[in-house]
Amino acid sequence: MSVLGKPTRAQIQNPATRYGKAKASTRHFITQRITGAINIVFSIFIIWFVVSLASRAPAEMIELARNPFVAIGLALLVINVSIHMRNGMRDTVEDYFDKGEHGWAMLANNLFVGFFFVVALGAIAKLVFWG
Amino acid sequence: MAPSSRPLSPHLSIYRFTLTMTMSIVHRATGIALYGGTLLLVLWLVAAAVGGGFFDFVTWLFGMWLGQLVLFGYTWVLFHHMFGGIRHFVWDTAKAMDANGRELAVRIQLGASILVTLIVWAIFVWFK
Repeated sequence: MSVLGKPTRAQIQNPATRYGKAKASTRHFITQRITGAINIVFSIFIIWFVVSLASRAPAEMIELARNPFVAIGLALLVINVSIHMRNGMRDTVEDYFDKGEHGWAMLANNLFVGFFFVVALGAIAKLVFWG
Repeated sequence: MAPSSRPLSPHLSIYRFTLTMTMSIVHRATGIALYGGTLLLVLWLVAAAVGGGFFDFVTWLFGMWLGQLVLFGYTWVLFHHMFGGIRHFVWDTAKAMDANGRELAVRIQLGASILVTLIVWAIFVWFK
């Protein structure tokens, strides 16, 4: 059986109780696995990008970021990381907020991830197309 | 829409701290740190896009000792979360779930994240 409101003690004690939406939750689980697996590659990429530029002149970073392969890699990283971080924060939000608070917390999550997505991609586009 | 009818998580203080549950908390903590830390990447990319004195300032900020300390910590956090994800992929196949296997898995994760962080910084920063 599925519960709609706040679960009662009896429902929590019953291991057969089902919570939330099965399809959405499965999609969430699979999305987090796929973006996580892709992030193994992006983690190595971003650490190489940041650490190899340590103590270099600022101009060298811009030159490297304008390389088409690096720029496309950075853009794909921002897209994949945005999906993964929004999903991950949703897990945290679901553990500690319910009802109305859940909505506000997810709104804050969406705004933060949206800010990262738009500003990071915008900065990369500026570097590549307008120098 | 997100389901809102799930029971909330009990407060942290009611759990007994074991190695695996501590590492579970660390996995979430590192995830949240990476989440907030995306602002550092945004700052760097925006500074590069804007250029001029602002980019010089941000380059100096990341190059000074405090900036380097944050980047060093961030490297470990990223590697630790990455190895934690790989540990979950192993657990997804129902392997290493017995008492010895799961303890070994988190020990390997912690050891690998520290070791790889030190190797990367040694090669790219300290002894370049």
